[in-house]
Amino acid sequence: MMNNRRLLFPLLIVAVLILSACGPAATAIPVVTLPPAPTQPPATVAPTVPPTATPPLVLKVASTASFETFDPIASFSVEAAYLPNLYEGLLRVNPSGSAEAYTPLLASSWEKSTDGLTWTFHLRQGVKFHDGEPLTAAAVKQSIEAAKDHGGAGFIWAPVDTIETPDTSTVIFHLKFATAFELIIGSTYAAWIVSPKALDAFAADPKYWEKGVEAGTGPYMLESYTPDAEIVFTKNPDYWGGWTAGQYDKVVVSIVPEATTQQQMLEGGEADLVCACLPTESLPSFENNPNYTVVKDKSFFNYIAWFNTLRPPLDNIKVRQALSYAIPYQDIIKIAVNGLGTQSRGPVPTGVFPWSADVPQYSYNLDKAKALLKEAGHEGGGFSMQLTYTTSNPAETLFAPLIKDSFAQIGVDVTIVPLKLSEQLALGRKGADGEDMSLMLYWPTYADAGMDNLWSLFYYTKKPSWNLSYWNNPQYQTLIDQAQTTDQATAQPLYTQAMTVLVDEAPGVFFYEPMSIFVVPNTVAGFQYNINYPFTYYFYYNLHAAK
Amino acid sequence: MLLPPPWKGRRQGKTPMQKLEFILRRLLASFVVLIGVSIMTFFIARVVPSNAAELYIGPKARPEDIERVTKQLGLDKPLPVQYVIYMNELLHGDLGLSLGTKRPVLTEISGRLPATLELLFSGMLLAVLVGIPLGVLSARWQGKPIDFAVRIISIMGVSMPAFYLGLTLQIFFFRDIHLLPLAARVSGDLRFTSPIVEKTGFFLLDSLLTHNWVAFKDVFLHLLLPTITLAAYPIGLIARMTRASMLEVLEQDYIRTARAYGIRDMVITYLYALKNAIGPSLTVIGITFAYALTGTFFVEVIFNWPGLGLFTVRSLLGLDYPAIMGITLFGAVGYVLINLIVDLLQAWIDPRISLKKS
Repeated sequence: MMNNRRLLFPLLIVAVLILSACGPAATAIPVVTLPPAPTQPPATVAPTVPPTATPPLVLKVASTASFETFDPIASFSVEAAYLPNLYEGLLRVNPSGSAEAYTPLLASSWEKSTDGLTWTFHLRQGVKFHDGEPLTAAAVKQSIEAAKDHGGAGFIWAPVDTIETPDTSTVIFHLKFATAFELIIGSTYAAWIVSPKALDAFAADPKYWEKGVEAGTGPYMLESYTPDAEIVFTKNPDYWGGWTAGQYDKVVVSIVPEATTQQQMLEGGEADLVCACLPTESLPSFENNPNYTVVKDKSFFNYIAWFNTLRPPLDNIKVRQALSYAIPYQDIIKIAVNGLGTQSRGPVPTGVFPWSADVPQYSYNLDKAKALLKEAGHEGGGFSMQLTYTTSNPAETLFAPLIKDSFAQIGVDVTIVPLKLSEQLALGRKGADGEDMSLMLYWPTYADAGMDNLWSLFYYTKKPSWNLSYWNNPQYQTLIDQAQTTDQATAQPLYTQAMTVLVDEAPGVFFYEPMSIFVVPNTVAGFQYNINYPFTYYFYYNLHAAK
Repeated sequence: MLLPPPWKGRRQGKTPMQKLEFILRRLLASFVVLIGVSIMTFFIARVVPSNAAELYIGPKARPEDIERVTKQLGLDKPLPVQYVIYMNELLHGDLGLSLGTKRPVLTEISGRLPATLELLFSGMLLAVLVGIPLGVLSARWQGKPIDFAVRIISIMGVSMPAFYLGLTLQIFFFRDIHLLPLAARVSGDLRFTSPIVEKTGFFLLDSLLTHNWVAFKDVFLHLLLPTITLAAYPIGLIARMTRASMLEVLEQDYIRTARAYGIRDMVITYLYALKNAIGPSLTVIGITFAYALTGTFFVEVIFNWPGLGLFTVRSLLGLDYPAIMGITLFGAVGYVLINLIVDLLQAWIDPRISLKKS
């Protein structure tokens, strides 16, 4: 027993010896020579806040998104979660069903000519960028021309011919053809109005945005950014919209990639809001808890598949229709998203222009599928197909086997091949040498699925970028051409007709739209999801602390 | 005294000149290794079937945008030219631009390094503090209950997946008993009450240096669970290694002689035996450390630790080849340096190890 006691002291000595030996090893790694990351907040001398000051009202958000770029012109990715709090466009598109279709932001009013080719925007007076520059017509013109030239989503400006600035607060757009222009102006990509000083600085130094800076007019300003860890926003005291009590002084975003961690943070009060990615199994516990409100909203996204119509027997309409009848739509929704989705009507998500309840749907009907196969001369199936899906997509991983099982029942053998998105697209672009069927989660670039989904996914081009069905239907293409070059009201019936043709000929499968789901604690008020900005889960300016 | 105490004498083995020569020779050899690594990563990254420009700009880009970015990134030049440009930039300390984050790879790595190192040092410290004594106890009391206990602990440490252990700890300490924070390096509201002034990037050290005790406590509590999770595997490994080599050493004649001389058991075990048995454990510690530099992905994901592991995995999944190359090179440098340090330590502890050409 004596020995046991005496062990303790030498143990410590050994440990200390080894540790002191490890010391130099640590400093020998070239840590010290590296320059500090430029985006780290500069070290201030006085760290202590006087204890008498009222603490700021802070909103704590946990989010998966980080900044892939700080360049608001190039932005075409997940930073869309934050940019609309820093930057503004001329207007914001309201969710369908709102009293007003648009919210004026930097434009206080606008009008269009009767032919829809000339759009005049009158700018809000007295607005300043965060860097002190005034908002002028020239700044708007410069921002949009930069986006048109090298924006990540610059293609959305294709209808614009020239931009004219008759005075400092008027911007006139001359279009090549009439279109649903407000939807472009309100885009979440490539439509931010940026301080001309910052645009000039970027032109002179291509590394300007890498420093982690912003130069918008929005209600919040970027205070600091620590990659993969934290983003801090602070309110813009000079915001043109003004401030009322209860709105947040600071917003601290923790970047949390794990959904289960987010769930625990929300439950434990470490986060006020989390992004819409909680595990669906966790929802019932929140629904039963009076301290939370679970919001289920429409979706900007949907799951589709292309049939490669260059590869027999998929060149046969009846075969494609048969396969469309052999998809277990409701089972897929149940398995992939715990029932939190709705079956799609064509490739346009509900609530996004030009969705229509008049577009038909296929139902799950194996008898019909077998009969159609027989009509097509493939009684009992007897052919095999290769199906690709995106590995990183957990829903596709879950429902691809359901398709295989169901097709097996009508005698069609499916081989499932998971691929990275870039590989999947590359294979799909090989024409007749590509795969037979390809699953895809798709969403429009901005709130116009007529310009995007209907054109991108099924309009025939010789070298496709996204129409991997190679479907070539002149009637559909004429309808789309007409609808794209007219105003929204005239376009709607044309689009509906085009989608009816599309669903009937079935060059693809239209699975389901996953619901957008938010869990909001009762301490936070003012939340409303705007599906036209699908990645911007929260507009911080609209939120305030509940009394 | 017939046996000299182990901390005296026998330091005449190597002259400083020999040591210096050894270090220089090793560094020179390492340089060749690094050149090899750079060539391999560069060309393997280009063999992967993906279009870097397309990854940079996103899948919906127009062909003319892809062309512009291809030029901008210099991808239109022949491969050997690209390699020369890359190496030239590398020698000027420029690892290129990450395709995923669009920021310099060097900035990304150096920005995340302190977080990873802080976790790593505390994890290894815990592993050594616990692992070695456990191994010694186990060997000294071979076949006794304490030996069984240690063996069970070390088997558990080695075989329990980090993500499982981490989640279990979180559920217990955060959700059930509300004792420790869930994740991240500091609490979100700390910045408004007593913000950490960054001097070294090691938050524990920074808050200590500025006498910011509120922050120190916060950082320390945040560090506990990830440290335990990270240390579990090396604790098991080190304990088993130490046990095995201790058992061997305890059988040696000189130990028996020492016992015959009536030297106290404690001195024999901890000074005479452990010193000779520590070699393999040291190697394991070194390798684990080097591996964990970029390989602590699970721990970093679960505890939302903004370190290199997270960045590594994101780059791999995104085929972000400039970042992958940067991380690989960095990892190679880490391995080389840590191995060098371990070798020097081994030679310092055991004079029989020669620093001459092997």
